[in-house]
Amino acid sequence: MIQTQNITYTIGDKIILDDISVTFNPGNLNLIIGPNGAGKSTLVKVICNQIKAKEGWVQYGSENLADMTVSQLAKIRAVLSQNIELAFPLQVSEVVMMGRYPHFSVKPTEKDKTACEEAMRFFDVWEMANRDYMTLSGGEKQRVHFARVVAQIWYPPENNMGRYLVLDEPLTFLDVHYQFHFMHKLLELLNQKDIVVVGVVHDLNLAAKFADHIVLLDHGKLLAAGSKEEVLTKENIKTAYRLEPIIHSEKESMYLFFE
Amino acid sequence: MKKIIIYTVLVLSVSACGRFGNEDKKKDHKERLVVISKQYNEIIYALGAEENVVAVDVSSTYPPEIKELPNVGYHRALSAEAILAMKPTLILEDNNIGPEHVITQLKKLKIPMKQFGKYEHTIAGTDSLMHEMGRYFEKESKAEELCKKLDSDMKIALENTDSYKEKPKVLMIHFGRASNIYLVMTKNSTAGKLMEWAGGEMAVEGERGMKQFSPEVIAKSDPDVILLTDYGYDRLGSMEGIADLPGVSSTRAFKNKRVYRVEEHDMVYFGPRTGEVVLKLQNLIHQDGKSQ
Amino acid sequence: MEKASSRYKGIFPVLSVVLLIIVLLSIRYGAVSITLEDMVSAFQKHLSGEQGLNLTERIFMEIRLPRAILCIFVGASLAVGGALLQALFRNPIVEPGLVGTSCGAAFGAALYFALGATFNFNVGEYTLPLAACLGAICSTALVFFLSQSKQTGKSSVVTLLLVGIAINALFLSGVGFLSYIARDPQARSIIFWNLGTLSGANWPAVIIVGISTITCLVISLRYAKHLNALMIGEEEAQFIGVNLKSLKWKILLINVIMVAVATAFVGVISFVGLIVPHLLRILKGSDNRFLILNSAVLGGVLLCLADLLSRMLLRPAELPIGIVTSVVGVPIFIILLRKKNYFF
Repeated sequence: MIQTQNITYTIGDKIILDDISVTFNPGNLNLIIGPNGAGKSTLVKVICNQIKAKEGWVQYGSENLADMTVSQLAKIRAVLSQNIELAFPLQVSEVVMMGRYPHFSVKPTEKDKTACEEAMRFFDVWEMANRDYMTLSGGEKQRVHFARVVAQIWYPPENNMGRYLVLDEPLTFLDVHYQFHFMHKLLELLNQKDIVVVGVVHDLNLAAKFADHIVLLDHGKLLAAGSKEEVLTKENIKTAYRLEPIIHSEKESMYLFFE
Repeated sequence: MKKIIIYTVLVLSVSACGRFGNEDKKKDHKERLVVISKQYNEIIYALGAEENVVAVDVSSTYPPEIKELPNVGYHRALSAEAILAMKPTLILEDNNIGPEHVITQLKKLKIPMKQFGKYEHTIAGTDSLMHEMGRYFEKESKAEELCKKLDSDMKIALENTDSYKEKPKVLMIHFGRASNIYLVMTKNSTAGKLMEWAGGEMAVEGERGMKQFSPEVIAKSDPDVILLTDYGYDRLGSMEGIADLPGVSSTRAFKNKRVYRVEEHDMVYFGPRTGEVVLKLQNLIHQDGKSQ
Repeated sequence: MEKASSRYKGIFPVLSVVLLIIVLLSIRYGAVSITLEDMVSAFQKHLSGEQGLNLTERIFMEIRLPRAILCIFVGASLAVGGALLQALFRNPIVEPGLVGTSCGAAFGAALYFALGATFNFNVGEYTLPLAACLGAICSTALVFFLSQSKQTGKSSVVTLLLVGIAINALFLSGVGFLSYIARDPQARSIIFWNLGTLSGANWPAVIIVGISTITCLVISLRYAKHLNALMIGEEEAQFIGVNLKSLKWKILLINVIMVAVATAFVGVISFVGLIVPHLLRILKGSDNRFLILNSAVLGGVLLCLADLLSRMLLRPAELPIGIVTSVVGVPIFIILLRKKNYFF
């Protein structure tokens, strides 16, 4: 479980996040949505300890984020950020192996190698294991990084701390096929009940289709949080995006259109 | 400065390239001298004592036949092995060699090194040095002869100088130009002294022997005569080449076509030919004075 | 997966053998001809404590051999420094002098040459290395200090790089000024020092540089994995367990020690630190665990080869090694660069 308590973050006089308290539960697919400038990425950064909130705190399970070391965190939490550029040419398998770095000191163990292989097969990149990362397409690169972050938390930690996966706009470079492919893979991962997944997405229909728990931010404030039915209401969408949606519900599914 | 020196070293290396391959033709000599001093070398050759000189430094260029000897490199960037390869029984040097650690190495290996006495920077001092070297090489009479020649040349030269009515201003440019900065010999240099004896005056002052000057200073000094040392002159090739030098073409010297070539090794130390050199300089800088 | 990790195998033994061959050539050939018998008898006499080494044997023991070994250590130091800084800065054009180290050393040395005599600053044989080393440490410390951001106390890697470039320029002009005001012989000493020379090699230098090289190499191997992590970005590296701040200081400290000590004894030798890591990346790959160790060996090979050439080309005179490293390194570098698809 990741919990944020009264998070406030400011730059100068500008309030970027205003008193945000949310809870992300294990086994759930938690998605953060909101218009540009709503503070989605900032919230993710606070959760990842990249920036310190002015007020409030973050908890991973029962631990306070501020008390955890970089290496402790790395063993239980993987983060996928946007726009990763490699400084020097590496093979795909070497990039994926980086996910295991927190778990071995000098040489990877068999366990690490197995984790990498399984994660690569899981995301369809095993075939390109020996290719130069620099020669891959944008979508292929993104899948390599999926494999990397998932390899990082492939095995449950010994101390039952839980596992955490934070994704900042993971779908950017993917075509529709792989967007769906990836979301289904995330659901598959969530069958292991100790994993908490938190992601930022832009596509409201994807959120509607896959999310168990949605957090809607607007102007640094928490507009709504909860199930899709609770969050994706006409009023909320109109407030946040300044567009009138047409919401079409059919059995379990929800579809949003804009005119 | 850096550019000038690197340039110089490269030029020396390249122009001396032939010299680096020189074979040691004195392999069977028991006594083997490595002489790292332009001045010593000229005197040794003048004394006729060059028999056992097996190698010299790259800057020693007079007399011309010296260039046939193997050389051990630039005198401020020596390497111990280069010298040792010549199997010296004695190294003659004038306390202007480097780098320091190489000298330390040579001393550690107990390679004999010798400097001759340090004399005044005058004709008398030069005589003393030649006498000492004459004694050392057992060529006393030849040394005496050289001194006499030098003294008599100088006497004529100084008499000439007294007869000149004017004192032309002379600019002596060393190595020509590097990125529009001229390396110029000042009043305080050896060349400055030669010029004084020859009845001329160096166009620029300076605490050190050589100094860098911008084209503006060159133009402002407005010399009557410009002397270029061999390398710089040869590179420019002609009056047209010289005309392109910034600052030079506006000088009186250039307008009167009084730009001449001198040998660098004549200008940087005193030796047995110093009197001749002064006479030669007088010829160059006093042409007008003479015709009067 | 096996394939991926095994692709780095084989390079280290090959390079080691090449190094051995080059070192043997380097001690065998030079201005003075030293035969194998001379070497053997020099060792025998040395081991048996006998005093009567002849000149050739002493040249071998006191000049040739320490020089070859110093070459290895200096080459290794510079190449490893380059590999470390390129990884740390995530930038392919970085060389070990970039954080001010070698320009500071040059400035320290120039101060000694230009003013040492005037102020009677002289503590014996090691005055020059000491002055250079102090210069290197001062300038590098200055770079670190100035690159600290006022607000956060953090220093971003890009700021560090920019400050490094600026301070380098400042110290270089300092060197230029000193050589301008210096008298002629001193000015020349400054210039030759800046071109680098190994002609001053002796056993104390070998021991000092050797200790710094080996210690720093072993320590830096421990951080290879962390440096790898940096390849995907500073923030991402932290997500996989790298304590960026402490890593940065450690790597910079290791680099400064290695480069300052090596430079102090041999002067400024550029280019080795830049191209050796790239050569290895082109040949095999960018994994720093592979890169750091093999940079040490290949750096030794390259410098030894350059030194051999610098002594042989104009025999018996010597070319400054700074000129030769580029002449040797650049063609190999360009050929490989064009042959393989090496791009960023």
